[in-house]
Amino acid sequence: MAVRRSYTAVVERNQQWRGAFASEPYETAWASEAIIFVRCLNADSIAGAVSARVQLSPDGMHWCDEGSTLELPAAPDAVAFVRVSHFGGWLRLAGETPEGGTLTVIVYVNLKE
Amino acid sequence: MNDQHRPPHYTDPRLSRFDPLSRILYYDDFDDGINGWSELIGNYTGSLDNMLPEYRDMRPPMLSNLTMWDTGTAGSMDGTYALKLATRAQRGAIATSIKRQTFRKRGLIQLECYFSFKPEASELKLSELDVRAFGVLFDVQDGLNPELRWMPHLRYLNALDGQRVAQWQFKRETRPFTAIGEKTVSHFHLGPEGWGDVPVTRQELCYNEIASKMNWHYLRVTVDLESRRFLGFQCNDVRYDGDDLQVVQIPAMPNLSCMLNTAFWVETDADKRAFLYLDSVLLSGDF
Repeated sequence: MAVRRSYTAVVERNQQWRGAFASEPYETAWASEAIIFVRCLNADSIAGAVSARVQLSPDGMHWCDEGSTLELPAAPDAVAFVRVSHFGGWLRLAGETPEGGTLTVIVYVNLKE
Repeated sequence: MNDQHRPPHYTDPRLSRFDPLSRILYYDDFDDGINGWSELIGNYTGSLDNMLPEYRDMRPPMLSNLTMWDTGTAGSMDGTYALKLATRAQRGAIATSIKRQTFRKRGLIQLECYFSFKPEASELKLSELDVRAFGVLFDVQDGLNPELRWMPHLRYLNALDGQRVAQWQFKRETRPFTAIGEKTVSHFHLGPEGWGDVPVTRQELCYNEIASKMNWHYLRVTVDLESRRFLGFQCNDVRYDGDDLQVVQIPAMPNLSCMLNTAFWVETDADKRAFLYLDSVLLSGDF
């Protein structure tokens, strides 16, 4: 019996998000389901919820919202996730932190056939 | 060549395009998955913050079907997926992927691959000078009673500061060690310093005519683990002798006996992502 292939990519590691942000594009054409995890490493001057939008792309350069959103964790070591499927060839997260606020994050894209 | 003298792998459609040594340690066709090629990360202790800055963001590899904005999916050379290394869109950014093995005999090792490189097709321009370089390295340490760690590097310097170079280079030396905590050191060995030209005229590769057209190239690199030197390499129709190619040599380190790591990298010369694609990689040896 063949097992389903899976892969976890660390698309951002110890990355500071301040103002408008987007994770680096990641190719996902081989996968049919994904979980995007965000773990907070540090939060500075973050008051209230910060959300990120799952985005899709036909070419890795032009992006549109998939419709799913994720409330980002804003306390050290807190983790949040969003599940998506039927996403085509590329995935990323995009959003904006409140003015003056910084989130330091590690972001995983967990893919499965 | 008559049938009696034809190597058996010549009739295997997957292996026929390679010239392996007597035994194959691994053959990675990325239609089958990631095959152990992971992101390279620098050493750290206690916090990610004490990693050398150059190692902090060497990007995860991915499986790509080579989809272009203008022509759709090309697929890989043999199938659908290739391993893709992608830098950030920042001049000088590097993406690196590594496969970690050990060796069982200090003998010949040969790496072969089919590769292509390209900048992201984000401008309607030729962009042939936007990828600075790509390369391959081995990271080796002797086995029992290790005496030496040595790192043969080979890179194709495509362009620098917007000027075409098209020159194969080897690496002579790495940077001084930096202590990372009490038990660990780190040294960045992919910086711009310490490279020497392979003493042959430059070799121009097949970039093609727009940024979304990719041609596959053949590369073969042979090293001798016993004498710790390059024996030579071949890129497409040009064969290079190994006698003049130097390698990085550093003192042996704890916990690395018989290490045989192989890494590929790509570096961008523009504020644009640079991509290195590998259709397949074969490592063979005499063991």
